[in-house]
Amino acid sequence: MSDTDKSPKTSKPLKQKPFFLFLGSMNLAVTLLMMLAIASVIGTVLQQDQNFQDYIIEFGPFWTQVFNTLGLFHVYGAAWFILVLLFLLVSTTTCVSRNGPTFMQDMKQFSEKLSINAYKHQPYSETYTVENFEPEKAALLLKEKGFKTKIYQRNNGITVAGMKGRFNRLGYIFTHASIIIICIGALFDSNLLLKFREMTGGLVAETRAIPVNDIPAKSWLGEDNFSFRGSVNVVEGQKTDVLFLPYERGFLVQKLPFSIEVKEFRIKYYDTGMPKSFESDIVLTAPDLKKPIVKTIRVNQPLYYKNYAIYQSSFGDGGSELSLKVHPLLAPEPKSFTLKTTVDSTEPLKTPLGTFNVEFSSFRMFNIVPSTKEEKAKTGKKVHNNGPSIGFKVRNDQGKAWEYDNFMLPSKQDNRYFFMTGVRDTPTKPFRYLFIPADEKKSNNRFFQFLAVVNNPIKTNKFIREAIPKTDKVDPQVYRLQIRLLNQLLVLFRQKGFEGINEFVEKSVPKAEQKKVRDYYLSQTSTALQILYLGFLKETYGKDYVKNDVISNFDSQWFEDALVVINTIPLYGPPMYFELTGFKQIDSTGLQITKSPGKNIVYLGSTFLIIGVFFLFYLRQKRVWIAYSETDKTLTVAGKDTRDLPETQKEFEQLLNEIKQKL
Amino acid sequence: MTTMNKTYKKEAKSCPFALRELLWITLVTLGTFLTWQQLGQLMSIYEDGILAGVTIGLITLGYFWPSIKTLTYWVAALTALGIWTYANNGNQYSANETAFFLKFLVSSQSATMWMSTLYVLAMVTYFAALFVKSDYVGKVASALTWSGVAFGLTGMMVRWRESYIINFDYGHIPVSSLYEVFILFTVVTTLIYLYYEQKTKTRALGGFVMLVVSAAVAFLLWYTFDKQANVIQPLVPALKSYWMKIHVPANFIGYGSFSIAAMTGLAYLLTEKLAEKRPNSPLLAKMPTLEAMDDLMYKAISLGFAFFTIATVLGAMWAAEAWGGYWSWDPKETWALIVWLNYAAWLHIRMSKGWRGSSMAWWALVGLIITAFAFLGVNMFLSGLHSYGEL
Ligand code: HEM
Repeated sequence: MSDTDKSPKTSKPLKQKPFFLFLGSMNLAVTLLMMLAIASVIGTVLQQDQNFQDYIIEFGPFWTQVFNTLGLFHVYGAAWFILVLLFLLVSTTTCVSRNGPTFMQDMKQFSEKLSINAYKHQPYSETYTVENFEPEKAALLLKEKGFKTKIYQRNNGITVAGMKGRFNRLGYIFTHASIIIICIGALFDSNLLLKFREMTGGLVAETRAIPVNDIPAKSWLGEDNFSFRGSVNVVEGQKTDVLFLPYERGFLVQKLPFSIEVKEFRIKYYDTGMPKSFESDIVLTAPDLKKPIVKTIRVNQPLYYKNYAIYQSSFGDGGSELSLKVHPLLAPEPKSFTLKTTVDSTEPLKTPLGTFNVEFSSFRMFNIVPSTKEEKAKTGKKVHNNGPSIGFKVRNDQGKAWEYDNFMLPSKQDNRYFFMTGVRDTPTKPFRYLFIPADEKKSNNRFFQFLAVVNNPIKTNKFIREAIPKTDKVDPQVYRLQIRLLNQLLVLFRQKGFEGINEFVEKSVPKAEQKKVRDYYLSQTSTALQILYLGFLKETYGKDYVKNDVISNFDSQWFEDALVVINTIPLYGPPMYFELTGFKQIDSTGLQITKSPGKNIVYLGSTFLIIGVFFLFYLRQKRVWIAYSETDKTLTVAGKDTRDLPETQKEFEQLLNEIKQKL
Repeated sequence: MTTMNKTYKKEAKSCPFALRELLWITLVTLGTFLTWQQLGQLMSIYEDGILAGVTIGLITLGYFWPSIKTLTYWVAALTALGIWTYANNGNQYSANETAFFLKFLVSSQSATMWMSTLYVLAMVTYFAALFVKSDYVGKVASALTWSGVAFGLTGMMVRWRESYIINFDYGHIPVSSLYEVFILFTVVTTLIYLYYEQKTKTRALGGFVMLVVSAAVAFLLWYTFDKQANVIQPLVPALKSYWMKIHVPANFIGYGSFSIAAMTGLAYLLTEKLAEKRPNSPLLAKMPTLEAMDDLMYKAISLGFAFFTIATVLGAMWAAEAWGGYWSWDPKETWALIVWLNYAAWLHIRMSKGWRGSSMAWWALVGLIITAFAFLGVNMFLSGLHSYGEL
């Protein structure tokens, strides 16, 4: 320390080897601090612990290799990072052990026995002649200013030494010791011990998703494990006494000395639809507990039990029971079948088009979306609830999957009701929604009935012939051709929608004719579809619009909406629609459980750090000496401050003036 | 607001129970008591503790820094006016558009607009004061700054009340969204600056500090008009904790001090350049000495470092309670560490190696960039658990 050298000789000079000097040197300390800072920057800028494939896509194979070798994908666990931390620890320890004793001594030292000459060499000093000197008065004056004092009788005079703010020195020791303490605490909570057990072969991380009971003993940790932080999902009404710790690229299973039962999980919402709280009612039972502990835990309100802490950390579906109706979309008859399943299970479906695996992945009870302006004006609510929905994937035997988002209840759009179903074939794309129009009873019956008619060549033929009866005026040959054209256009439409007709024209009609033919075909298709719809309405609902001539608004709008959907069915993936008809929701709660023996050590260190920092910055260790020499009747006033601030000199001059006046 | 500008008085110490002190202690205690009586049943034991701490802290602060008393009286009066006007209008939030006092003065939105205007005017006036002879312009600048702070604090207090008026469930202390902490930032930075202004008896640095504050105001206005960030939103579950009430303010004392240090550094560098180029410039006489600025830089960084340390420790304790671990290398946490390490290095170099001058001034400026990234950049560019404000 620069100022310790200047200070009066309070202790023996420490002889040290260059290596130790280097370890405790300021240059090393600052270098290490900056290295740590840079490493931390890398750790936040580069996404850590991602899938290797993702890195290759982002950086290319070469840089991925380089970054990986440097450990940049998990900086905070990289060997060099740990090494920097260790050096920091060693450096700080060296520094404290070297300066600590000196500083402790310095705190008690008044340096009252120095020679007058030594005082004259202090940063601030002045010598002037006086008649007499009363040491008690001088001591009193210093005491009034907050100094601790000591009076020393030399053979040729007397010295009054004063000191204040000596805890400043303690501040140095506190701050640096605190760094050591915090590191030790953090070490307690690190997985160093596990790493050691892994290296010596006693421990292997499990990477497969298999039932707990099948996990080999080498991936289990007993109750003797020193510290851990892991999580577990518990289905409502069930219990757990194990925990999963993420480790390397897999996980370890931690046995707990208690079991936790989850009675219920709840989410509460604000009126904006934002979640307000996540909470679980849990019961903790342990062999040594007379009565189980019953508590509701929430985010920010964990349960502390012995040296364990149990947190509400996430939630998910615990296998909700679902009742479904599956509607085939190409069948010529409206025949659906029912399916009972649960979330997280896979159902194989045999169809004429091959076997499909349906993977049910989620159930959502509420779909809260912001209200439209009109809605807000009407109901005064900022949001509305679109009701339950399911998420699932349908995978064909080649492994290609389509993902769906189906709503149970019809929702209102432009004053009409629709069943929404979203589809996408790549997870990165957004869902594209189909709006299946509801009928007057707000059900989807009419849609699937009408769809079956469109799919049924016998019925279509029948309706067309009924609508366009054969008359004598028409040449039978022309009549047959027209009926055939209408039927064929419907087949094209069913297969690929209006786009199918377009493609057909492009393929088989000369360029010059295309526009004309396309327009004609499209209008014929529309006519055919209208014929089907009117025939269907008459047959199924007994509505004879042919006679009445005026079609109701609802029915005509419904037709337009239905056509939009039927037109896009060819893009909907496997031709099935899954209707959710009933459910029983079962939640699971994600608990995080920790045992963190280092926590209190870290907190202790932190407390030291804060105290130390304030001592360092806000206490200045100041010394003054008032030394009287009997030989030449002079008074030497000297002062010294651990830190040379602009105010130091002013304060010294003020004190000097006061001494001159009062003594 | 004449008393606000009186310089820091030491005599208060020698006569601790002057009438003014007695009045101060009585009023603050009374305020606390009323708050507690009204809201005590809603407060947890920790919040009782925080209230007690704030009371003692405020009394002590007022004792050592008399201007705080005047400020507190003003803020209390304006806030009372706001709350009273709301109460008179049936505690309807829409009153902020109709009731005169709310619409033009003390609804949180209006108060914040007043604050913004006053800060920017203050900056201009401080700079103008550098070029005129009379002291008067500088005094006006200080008065503008004090008024800005008063409106900023009033805006926060009224916003606190408004969050409960809109919907009782939404109620929270306004230090939880990026919009809210920006107001906090300007208030804290300005207050710390004003303290140093009185203590060092120079207003020359005011324009520089208010430059950062005005930049924050510009952001605030953009954020309000472009993103409607001023709308009061309820809290996400992770933020519903008493820890927020102490962690966030401690952090902003840190950010504020670091900003002041950086701006002092800027003033230092400019002054040094000026002295080199035009040694006879009259501006030089107006600026504090290089040594004084260097010292102020050190003092501001020490203060910031001390509070930033507290904030980081509190943050770790909060994280332990909310996420189950006191340290998770979350980007916000990690950047707090980076800021901390940077200033720790700065302090070491200065204290032990005795470095002074322009290199340290540059470093303080770079420090502000790092701090700004920790404050804003992390929310903008990095994802993590600290999701309180997204742009
Ligand atoms: C909490 C933050 C820290 C503060 C406030 C702090 C403060 C100080 C102070 C004030 C000194 C000079 C002592 C004096 O002049 O009285 C010092 C020296 C030193 N500090 Fe720190 N320090 C901190 C953290 C660290 C850390 C993390 C290291 C890690 C390497 C470190 C290493 C050193 C070294 C090597 C010295 C020089 C000692 C010598 O050469 O005699 N400090 N520190």
